[in-house]
Amino acid sequence: MAGPLLETKLHVPRRRRGLVARPRLIERLSLQAEPALTLVSAPAGFGKTTLVAEWLATVSADGRRVAWLSLDKSDNDPALFWTYLIGALRTAADGVGGPALTLLQSPQPPMEAVLATLLNELSALPDDVVLVLDDYHVIDAREVQDGMAFLLEHLPPQLHLVIAGRADPALPLARMRGRGELVELRAADLRFTPEEAAAYLNGVMGLVLTARDVASLEGRTEGWIAALQLAALSLQGRDDVAAFIADFAGDDRYIVDYLAEEVLQRQPEPVQRFLLQTSVLDRLSGPLCDAVTGQDNGKAMLAALERGNLFLVPLDDRRRWSRYHQLFADVLRAHLLDEQPDHVPDLNRRASAWHERNGQPSEAIRHALAAGDVERAADLVELAIPAFRKRRQEATIRGWLDAIPSDVVRVRPVLAVGFIGVLMTSGEFEGVEDRLRDAERWLEPTGDGADATRAPPAGMVVVDQQEFARLPGAIGMYRAALALVRGDGPATIGHAQRAIHRAAEEDHLTRAGASALSGLARWGGGDLEAAHQAYSVAAEGLRRAGYIADVLGCSITLADIRITQGRLGEALRTYERALRLAADQQGGVLRGTADMYVGISQIARERNDLAAATQHLLRAQELGEHTWLPQNPYRWRVAMARVREAEGDLDGALDLLEEALRVYTGDFSPNVRPIPALRARVLAAQGRVGEASAWAREQGLSAEDDLSYLHEFEHITLARVLLARHGNERAAGAVDEAARLLERLLRAAEAGERTGSVIEILVLQALAHQARGDLPAALASLQRALTLAEPEGYVRIFVGEGAAAASLLRVAAKQGIAPGYVRRLLAAVDRSDGRPVQQGLIEPLSERELDVLRLLGTDLDGPDIARELSVSLNTMRTHTRNIYAKLGVNSRRAAVRRAAELGLSARGRNRQG
Amino acid sequence: MGRYEIRVKGHLDARWVAWFDGMALTHDGDGTTLIHGDVVDQAALHGLLGKVRDVGLPLVSVTQVDPDN
Repeated sequence: MAGPLLETKLHVPRRRRGLVARPRLIERLSLQAEPALTLVSAPAGFGKTTLVAEWLATVSADGRRVAWLSLDKSDNDPALFWTYLIGALRTAADGVGGPALTLLQSPQPPMEAVLATLLNELSALPDDVVLVLDDYHVIDAREVQDGMAFLLEHLPPQLHLVIAGRADPALPLARMRGRGELVELRAADLRFTPEEAAAYLNGVMGLVLTARDVASLEGRTEGWIAALQLAALSLQGRDDVAAFIADFAGDDRYIVDYLAEEVLQRQPEPVQRFLLQTSVLDRLSGPLCDAVTGQDNGKAMLAALERGNLFLVPLDDRRRWSRYHQLFADVLRAHLLDEQPDHVPDLNRRASAWHERNGQPSEAIRHALAAGDVERAADLVELAIPAFRKRRQEATIRGWLDAIPSDVVRVRPVLAVGFIGVLMTSGEFEGVEDRLRDAERWLEPTGDGADATRAPPAGMVVVDQQEFARLPGAIGMYRAALALVRGDGPATIGHAQRAIHRAAEEDHLTRAGASALSGLARWGGGDLEAAHQAYSVAAEGLRRAGYIADVLGCSITLADIRITQGRLGEALRTYERALRLAADQQGGVLRGTADMYVGISQIARERNDLAAATQHLLRAQELGEHTWLPQNPYRWRVAMARVREAEGDLDGALDLLEEALRVYTGDFSPNVRPIPALRARVLAAQGRVGEASAWAREQGLSAEDDLSYLHEFEHITLARVLLARHGNERAAGAVDEAARLLERLLRAAEAGERTGSVIEILVLQALAHQARGDLPAALASLQRALTLAEPEGYVRIFVGEGAAAASLLRVAAKQGIAPGYVRRLLAAVDRSDGRPVQQGLIEPLSERELDVLRLLGTDLDGPDIARELSVSLNTMRTHTRNIYAKLGVNSRRAAVRRAAELGLSARGRNRQG
Repeated sequence: MGRYEIRVKGHLDARWVAWFDGMALTHDGDGTTLIHGDVVDQAALHGLLGKVRDVGLPLVSVTQVDPDN
């Protein structure tokens, strides 16, 4: 959960006693039409909330579950909005949305991924859920609106959405209307009919009005319920009812002015004062009201207001919190502003102080800003930033930043640097350099050296001394991050080193952050050993600071570097060490634990222990989403896709990769194995060369590109695509192009000591040589690969490359190359039971078809083949047709050639021999 | 950004002036009120319209006024 949620926002409003029954509207709301969206759109005071709450009672009776969310302005922060929305859903469907909440914790959470994950879960819900979003008109943030449009577009049938508000939401309503997916109730539907007005005034409110009086009131208010309520309150206990109604009907004044005046005037003076003073509050409780009014009767006053129907809406069942009806609150505020403008800042200041004392910084800051007390607001924001950043509510902090004048920020280095952190996390780098320089000026020694006791420079304001001590290191760290974003590796490393040097000895967090940045710069530059070293320092610093989950995050990077270096054993030990560290922690399974199992699974797959690889992935899943780092949803799917691929289920692998792409969320690490490249590899293995080539085109990749470590995986993938093109289309020059690219890749990988890459490149090189008919060169490359791979127990890289690689291994075995290892590899090929042999095929050939195929490679004609196999000529032709279809060819010669490439004919012979 | 006139139905009490951030209010004979004054930018204009919406005032028209007139 991103911080504590206000439960009152998730509270389904209590049905009030004495309501006018509105069967005509309840009927329209019924879900018989199975609409995706029910829209209740009308101005304030039309009874939207009351009606929906009333209807929900019938919905619950139907066995559907209901969830409610009352929105307010602060929900324009997407992190907060979706956290609350999931929080609401969880009141109806226990524990739903966990992975989405996890994703929301990542910097700049990718909303589509968050929503795709959420929708996935919602579509598996056993019961129907009705989710009501009340006061939706407060939402104006584009990002939230886009997210809602996406949600609606993909809404599973179990979920019914009800949106209530004073303005139509920015959603594709016309289209939904056209498709019949929308049920709407608007002002014209909601207003009281004359009958309902009569039932309300004479029934519920106990007035004794003539039909003419009722008609007159209904006409003047046009059925506006809030106005009728005010009218009823004005009429209660009045003798001159007819005269009042006549006056009111003949008056041009804005209805609410006329009536609210009446209602207020009729309250005793203390009540009037209480109403005006507390109108500055969004939510009311007895103690808060006391703090604002300076009285001690808040609780009793609120109870009296509720009894008197004075527009007080309870927000929880315990009657601790309530609010004024929005329309009434606005009228009260207008009165307050008009009558006691000088009093308003004071009231807000007192409210701010109360919220601060009660640990509600958001409200404390809102009231400080409403009081115009930017200094106080700045103090509060400075103290609040660390916690809000931890909860990823950067958009909320941005809102404060916009409200506090820059000259107030400038003299507060802690606040300024806090804002810089927020800007950078939101991907805004413009002006950050200037802000850093401004903040840093306060840190420069003014007189004789930098001793700790020297007085702070005049004019500087610091509230959070602990954060202030961290500034020198933090500023250096942000400089390093800025340089990394610019792609300036050397500057990143320089700033990071200065940050480490300037950070206090015990400020492990800053030192670790700077070390990690320097590690990232070195990683991106391909200097893996230095990157590993820096990341080890970062991991150790994080461990000392107690950020164990982040240590696990670092372990992924550390292991990944080792894998690229061809050191599978060390990668495995890195994960195992991290697991032991996690196990030592108190209190449940640590976040990141699941990711370690995903990592271990990858190594098991590389070593061809597919059963163990699957087991580890299932374990990661069973541990539950609270043990996942934000990237795990995609990493897990990628790992599972590669296991499926190894098992020969290429379609399954592609499905998982598609899913992985949808839930992909990056971090600061370079994305060295992009999912689209993995997808292209599977497509190439399937013989879908056109699609694989299209990937290379889209990425702008070519065999002549300059090589860098960051794109190594993509370039190796390109070589695979070229080899597949050669195999499939006999594309002229494709194999030569592949060979040239592989040669260059090999040199680069060797120079960077990336043995893991070297092994893969050598295997592909062997295949390229083989395809060009140069067997000795092929064997030479293979032998080098085998020598490097054997100590680390690599298997997949040799046995997952199809029949051509298998036949090359057989030749190597005959020639006595790495005999023990090759024998193990060949055993693995045989164990996989023919699947890899036919790996290029979407649909494998049957035994009978393999027999026909073998004979197609001889001089025999059709009738001869049929005789040879003792089948009819027709049956033989059916087999042939199927073979052509499966191989994707349309002639006997092409079939024979394709079979040779796939090693299928060789297999037929082996079977016979 | 310029001067705007927002016409709403009903005569609005003068007390709303402060609530509408100092805009002037003028009652017209046809039972409408003109809320008029300078508006800094589009965001401020929308904020104003949001206030009109929130108190349930029926909106009749919004007009930009040429400052020379």
